[in-house]
Amino acid sequence: MTNFMIETRNLTKKYKGTSAVNALNLSIPQGEIYGFLGPNGAGKTTTIRMLLGLIKPDSGLVRMFDQDLKKDRISILRRVGSLVEYPSYYGHLNAIENLETIRSILNVDKIRIDEVLHTVGLTKDAKRPVKGYSLGMKQRLGIASALLGSPELLILDEPTNGLDPSGILEIRELIKQMPKQQGITVLVSSHLLSEVEQMASSVGIINEGKMIFQDSMPNLQRQAGSEIHISLSQPEAAMIIAREQGCFPRLHQDQLIFKGIDNGQIARLVAALVDARHSIYRVEERRKSLEQLFMTMTANANSAERSIVEAPRGAGLRKEVAQ
Amino acid sequence: MIGKLVMSDLLKMRRTGIWWVVWIGALGLTGMQALNFGLRYDYLVRDVYADDPWRGLISSNAMFVPIAIYLAMTLLMSMIANIEHKQNAWKQTLALPVRRSQVFASKFICSFIQLLAACVILSVSTGVLGLLLQLQGPIPYLELLTFGFYPMLASLPMLGMMLWMTLSVRNQAIPITLGIAASLISMFGAVLPDQIPIAWPSLVVRGESTFTLIGLGIAIFAALYLLGSIHFSRKDVA
Repeated sequence: MTNFMIETRNLTKKYKGTSAVNALNLSIPQGEIYGFLGPNGAGKTTTIRMLLGLIKPDSGLVRMFDQDLKKDRISILRRVGSLVEYPSYYGHLNAIENLETIRSILNVDKIRIDEVLHTVGLTKDAKRPVKGYSLGMKQRLGIASALLGSPELLILDEPTNGLDPSGILEIRELIKQMPKQQGITVLVSSHLLSEVEQMASSVGIINEGKMIFQDSMPNLQRQAGSEIHISLSQPEAAMIIAREQGCFPRLHQDQLIFKGIDNGQIARLVAALVDARHSIYRVEERRKSLEQLFMTMTANANSAERSIVEAPRGAGLRKEVAQ
Repeated sequence: MIGKLVMSDLLKMRRTGIWWVVWIGALGLTGMQALNFGLRYDYLVRDVYADDPWRGLISSNAMFVPIAIYLAMTLLMSMIANIEHKQNAWKQTLALPVRRSQVFASKFICSFIQLLAACVILSVSTGVLGLLLQLQGPIPYLELLTFGFYPMLASLPMLGMMLWMTLSVRNQAIPITLGIAASLISMFGAVLPDQIPIAWPSLVVRGESTFTLIGLGIAIFAALYLLGSIHFSRKDVA
C-alpha cells in the first residue's frame, strides 16, 4: 500500500432516492495538493462532509491516515484542519476569541493563535469583532482556524468562493506554501478548472456523484487536449502544407486548428509555413474549458459503456463526440 | 474534555447578552416584590403576613417563579443554540475532535449553570430585600435557598425539550413559540391535572408533593436528554 492520506471505497450518500455521491473512490497521496473538481451540485461538499464525519455515508468506507473514520473519528479529526464552504465564525467575538474557542478544545499552545493569525495576515485586525470583517478576512480566519491544530491534512471546500482577485491570489499562495513549508497534504475543492490548475498537483473530477477522472495534474492537462490555433494568410493553401508536414488541421474561421501536436511539430510547421510565404498573425494554445472537458469525459464514459454492447460502432461514436 | 468544551462554550457566550437574561430575570422578580412590598408595606407586612412576613415575601415572589423559569429555559437554550446556528458554526464545532454527545452535554451544562446562577441571584436578592424591608423573625435560610431551586428541578422536562429542539431545529421561532406557550400555560398550574409536567413547578411552589415531582421531573428530563443526545449524535450536519 502506498500511504494515502485519504482513501474512500464505494462511498455513497443518497438524498431522497437520488445519489448525491455514488460509489466514490477517492485516493489522495501524502504531500500533494489534491484538487477536487466538479460543477455545483456534483457532490463535492457532500463528500467533504462525509470525510469530516459531519454526515454519515449510506454505504462505503472512509479511511484516513490508514484508520477507519467510523471507528477512530476523534483521533483522525485531531490531525485534520477543515474549512467547509462559507466560513463559520462567531461574529460577536474577535479573531483571537474565535480561535480561542477552538484552541481550548484542541489543547494546543496559546502561541499558536498568534502564529496562525500571522500566517493568514490578520494580526492587525485580531482585536476587532469578526462581524465587521470582509468576506476575504473571514475566509482567512477560517483558514487560520483550520491551521490552529497544526494538522497533517487540510480540507478546504471552495476556499476562494466569493473572493475578489487579490483575495483569491492570497489564498492560493497560502495553500501552495502548505506542502512545501509544513508538509501538509491539502484537499481543496473548486468548480473552476483554472483555479485548481494553478495550485493542485493531482486532481479528481466528480460529476453527478461519480468520480470520472483521478490522476496527476499533467495527465489531466494532456486529457484536456489543448488545441493549437494558427491564424494566418491564405489558410486553404496552408492546409496543404500542414498535411505535407503530417499534421491534419481543421479549418475554422480562417484559423487552422491542430489537435494533439507536440512542440517539435509546431516548430517545423511554422517554419514550413513561413518558408511558403504565409503571414502568420497568431499562434495560440487554447485549452478546453472545464465544461467541454466534462462533456468529453462524460461522453467518453457513456460511449465506453455503449461500446461494450456495440463494439464496432463504439469507436466511431467516440470520435464523433470528441470532434 | 467536557470541561474544555464548557469553557469554550462560556467563551462563545461573551457579549451575547445571555448573562443579562440571567440577571434581569432573577432581579426582575425580586424587583417586582420590592415594588409590591414597598408600596403596600403596611398592608402586607403589618396585616396580611403579620404572623410570618418572611414567608409572605417568599411566597409572593415564588408565585412568579414557574413562568420565569420556563421563559428562562426557553430563552437561554435558544440563545445558546443560536450562537452555533447563526453562522452555521456547527460544521466547524462538530468537525473538531470531540464526541457529539459531549458537545450536547456541554450545552446542557452551560444552561444549567445559568439557571443555577439565576436561582442563587433570586435567593440572595430576596434575602437582601427582606433585610431592607426590616422583616421581623428569623431569616428562613432553607426556604430562601429552595423556593427557586425546587421548582427549577421540577421544570427540568422543559429544559430537556428545549435542549433537544433548539439544538436540532435551525429555525428558533418554533421552540421559542412552544416555550412561551408553555410558560403561559404554567400560570394556570393550579387548574391543570397533576399528571401534566407543565403544572409541576406551580405545585412545587405550593409545597404539594415536592420531592415526588422533583424526582419525576429529573426522570423525565433524563429520558428526554438521552433521546436528544442520541438524535444529536446521529443527525447529519448541514
